[in-house]
Amino acid sequence: MIGALDMLLLAALAAIPLSALFATTRSGRWLLVAAYAVQFGLLIMLQPATAAHSALSFQLLGNAVGWQMDALGWYFAVITIGSAGFAAAYAAGEWSEVNGRLGLSLRWLYAGLQINVLAMLLLLASGDFVSLFIGWELTSWAGLILMLLAGGDAIRASLRYIVYAIAGGMTVFAGLVITQAAVGSLQFDALHAAAPSLGTGRLWAIALLFILGFSVKMASMPFHLWQAPAYAYSPAPGSSFLGSISARMGLFGIALVAIKLIGLAQLDRLSLVTDLVDLRGLLTWVAVFTAILPTFVAMRQNDARLLLGWHGVGQGGYMLLGVIIADRLGSAGGLLHVFNHATYQAILLMAVFAVIHRTGTADLNRLGGLVTRMPLTFLAMLIGIIGLAGLPPMNGFVSKWMIYRALIVDGHPLLFVATVISTLGTVLSVYKLLHNTFLGQLRLEHEQIHEAPWSMTVPMLLLCVVVFVTGAAPGLVLQYVAAAQQAIGLEPVRYILGGIESPTGSLDMLWITAILFAGFGIGAVLFYLIGGRSRRVHQLDNYAGGHFLTADVRYQYSDNFYAGLMHRIRPWYRGSFEWTESALVSALGAASTLARGFFEQANPAQWVLVGTTVIMTWVMWYALG
Amino acid sequence: MTDVTLAVVLPLLGAFLLPLTAHRGLHWLGMLLGPALLALAALLLFATWTAFESPYAIALGGFAPPLGITFYVDLLGLLFALAVPLTSLLLWPGGSDEAAIRQQSLTLLLAAALTGMALSGDLFNLYVFYELAAVASYGLAASSATGPAFVAAFRFLLISALGSVVTLLGIALIYFKTGTLNLAHLATLSERLADPQGLAAFAMLLIGFGVKAELFPVNAWVPEVYAATGKRVAALLAGLASKLAVLAVVRILLLVFPHDEARQLLLLLGTLGVLSGELAAWQARDVTRMLAWSSIGQLGVVLVAFSLPGKAGLIAGVTVAMHHLVVKSALFLLADRWGGAVDRLKGAATASPLGAALFVLFALSLLGLPPLPGFWSKYLVLSGLAEAGSGMQHLALGVILLGTVIEGGYLLRIITRLYAAPERDIVPPAHRFPNLFASGLLALLLVAGAILIDPLWQGLNTLAASATDTQVYVQTVLGGKGITR
Repeated sequence: MIGALDMLLLAALAAIPLSALFATTRSGRWLLVAAYAVQFGLLIMLQPATAAHSALSFQLLGNAVGWQMDALGWYFAVITIGSAGFAAAYAAGEWSEVNGRLGLSLRWLYAGLQINVLAMLLLLASGDFVSLFIGWELTSWAGLILMLLAGGDAIRASLRYIVYAIAGGMTVFAGLVITQAAVGSLQFDALHAAAPSLGTGRLWAIALLFILGFSVKMASMPFHLWQAPAYAYSPAPGSSFLGSISARMGLFGIALVAIKLIGLAQLDRLSLVTDLVDLRGLLTWVAVFTAILPTFVAMRQNDARLLLGWHGVGQGGYMLLGVIIADRLGSAGGLLHVFNHATYQAILLMAVFAVIHRTGTADLNRLGGLVTRMPLTFLAMLIGIIGLAGLPPMNGFVSKWMIYRALIVDGHPLLFVATVISTLGTVLSVYKLLHNTFLGQLRLEHEQIHEAPWSMTVPMLLLCVVVFVTGAAPGLVLQYVAAAQQAIGLEPVRYILGGIESPTGSLDMLWITAILFAGFGIGAVLFYLIGGRSRRVHQLDNYAGGHFLTADVRYQYSDNFYAGLMHRIRPWYRGSFEWTESALVSALGAASTLARGFFEQANPAQWVLVGTTVIMTWVMWYALG
Repeated sequence: MTDVTLAVVLPLLGAFLLPLTAHRGLHWLGMLLGPALLALAALLLFATWTAFESPYAIALGGFAPPLGITFYVDLLGLLFALAVPLTSLLLWPGGSDEAAIRQQSLTLLLAAALTGMALSGDLFNLYVFYELAAVASYGLAASSATGPAFVAAFRFLLISALGSVVTLLGIALIYFKTGTLNLAHLATLSERLADPQGLAAFAMLLIGFGVKAELFPVNAWVPEVYAATGKRVAALLAGLASKLAVLAVVRILLLVFPHDEARQLLLLLGTLGVLSGELAAWQARDVTRMLAWSSIGQLGVVLVAFSLPGKAGLIAGVTVAMHHLVVKSALFLLADRWGGAVDRLKGAATASPLGAALFVLFALSLLGLPPLPGFWSKYLVLSGLAEAGSGMQHLALGVILLGTVIEGGYLLRIITRLYAAPERDIVPPAHRFPNLFASGLLALLLVAGAILIDPLWQGLNTLAASATDTQVYVQTVLGGKGITR
């Protein structure tokens, strides 16, 4: 019997050839956007409260393999299809026409996007470890399609990505076979049931292998180096889709295997030397460092795409932190942040790519003053950075507030301070992004620039509405977050439409938003009533000390932003992770040279004799021992 | 009941007849003879496969075992025997000039010898067929008649000849200790070989048979030979010949040396093979050497799989071996026109889009992307290793996974070059149709394998159940159930 989940998967599968077929015409691309709407509709029809089973199930090599979607997978699936739909719509009009003319394969772009969606749906709907691994690997390889499309710099980034991704995948693979050896089955239930009786050694191995494997996808430290360039250089819709949701598949994996199947009680058994540090404690610090360091790396970037890419890595740290704290409020905050980040990150990347579409560059030292030329894009980016910085009334504030609150309530003052440092870095760097792109002096060569086409601005602005509405009324999303929490065996958050209800401190965004707007209103009234006047001057008019400067003089420039701060914090960055990575690659190269030397020697026959001698020695050693 | 011995005799006969046709204006006959004989051999084996009920033994020349020469027919042997004419047919070197006919003749000789290895029921015969296959291989390795090919073939000859001497010593040692070379007879006497001398004998056999099985450390001939000869020959040696050598080792391991030490030795050398092969491939600058080293790594995995005890090990080993046979043959065929530096492959996908797509498919299966068969074969090996669970096995598990990561790095390096924009519009030549056709067939086989993985696994279970049961072998050969010819 074909169920709702099968319909969804079939629709996603059928949309792949359609994507390859229709991607080359404008109307065809809008049809593909409609296909995402259909998939979204089919997803909504699935009941998130109970797990939806697929009719698709096999007996493969003695394992029952099947698919089912519970509230956790459903929540991630909503974000996945939503991100893909908005990305497809953004590119449907002029963007594809221009980039198609420049040689981008639109067929591969749209088909690749749909392949990613199908792979992720398969992963999110996995019902056992085999289907989990199938989905995991397909997701990893599907991402590569979108990354490779841009060519050039993207190829290097993609190769780096795939080595990391295979390493992560193989770690998961090791976890899978060791789980099978330990509990005798690859069913989720088997691990869940056997986890309490497993010895700590086995449990360490299983938990660590899965968490490490999933962390590579999340780009948690120290596996963070690959992600920003791999996502940033993908074509606009690919970049916005990957940046929104792709890395979160790792979080899904951790929530599923570590929290749901192994369980918090078992995770707490895993302590390191002298019980001072346990696995969860270690992971919270990994999460916090992932939130801090990449954020400050982002601040140093001069390519707007890379800046956002590094923020994606950092925000992943917040999500992991919330999920690993795993109390009612923190885990809800972590899961909610997945949705919130997906929405504002998509806006920000779309805005940056709109600027690229018009100016041809994302170099923050070569932009500026575009606010009058692209006001809608400016507005979208403004809303996006308010979300990313975690300021009210946008949705990013809510999830971050919940994580902060959980840290304080649970008594983690150091972690709290660390997240505040991360937020400081976020605020500084998003201001750099906004300022260097839209504020300051307009460059002469951008005088003729005008707003991005509606096909690009409308998706951005729609997402802005989502960011604002779910910021003012987070309860809309929190109901699904609560269901997802329940699905992985955590206590669900107590939510109201405006936010959180809790004896230790409630949050009602409706009030906060109202007060904010009232404040703005009063300010505006005061400004306009009490003689506030402004005078417009042309953007290219420059004066210094009353003296007129011609427009080609770079007067208010934005080169080497935050030079002072960078000077202060630079000694802390010695590129130690880059160094470690390249040292590993060099070590591999050296080992490879050695191995080649063995095969390429002039007189290989001697190795027969050496080999025989060594093996005979081994035999004799065996005889004696 | 059809006579499987013909599957050995026919190609052997053809190998000697074929050169005669070249001089008598019988080119058309020469063109047909080889493929026809191979097809006939395949048909015979296939008929035997379909009619197969239980294992049986054939006593050649009417001398009863353990004195006479024995052929043993079971599913394991038949599977590998069937692979021989089919693969040789797929990789048949066409042409009707003298060099081509020499190569065809050698291919037939190789096919006969390899089929003999698959069916042979005693150690000395196994050795004789192995030597025959080795001689054919030297000829094939030198068949492209270039300087590098002669040098490579000579390296191969030196290593292989030395290895054979060591094997012969091992066989002598076994004979000295047991007084027989019949595998079934040896199986009943395996207790006598459970001492250091026996282990030494096994090690010697391993070194000798290991030369063709690309076993570390006697595989230094591999990259040069594959790089210097025609890619069809490389595919034949890497894909097919190596598997039959592995089968010989497996038979000996199962019947004569069912001891933990022997398995451990195989595990150790297999692990070293994975490590050395994959590491060397990481820095390879041309496609063929890269594939050659990768093949060493893959055969390491095969040996690791066969080192696992019981049915699980045999199933895993056969799966990995058959998968590698299909994939590596196809990859060598596709690499035919892609010689030289990897960087010169830029734009190859525009010249032959189908070839590039097939290359990607095979590479992904080699890396174990589910649901392609490569994933399942890797799964069987790894779960077996995790199940067996000693330190050495966990180490092997880690090494195989590390090898996969390295493999991903270098295979993707090729794939990204294939799809990169061509430089100065210099594009590598498109694939020749026969190569494309053969690798297309193999791709269909691969996809069919992905779909039919569960029935195949069920079949392998039956195969493994009888192949790992020493009692069946002994009863069949010595218990008078044999057929006398």
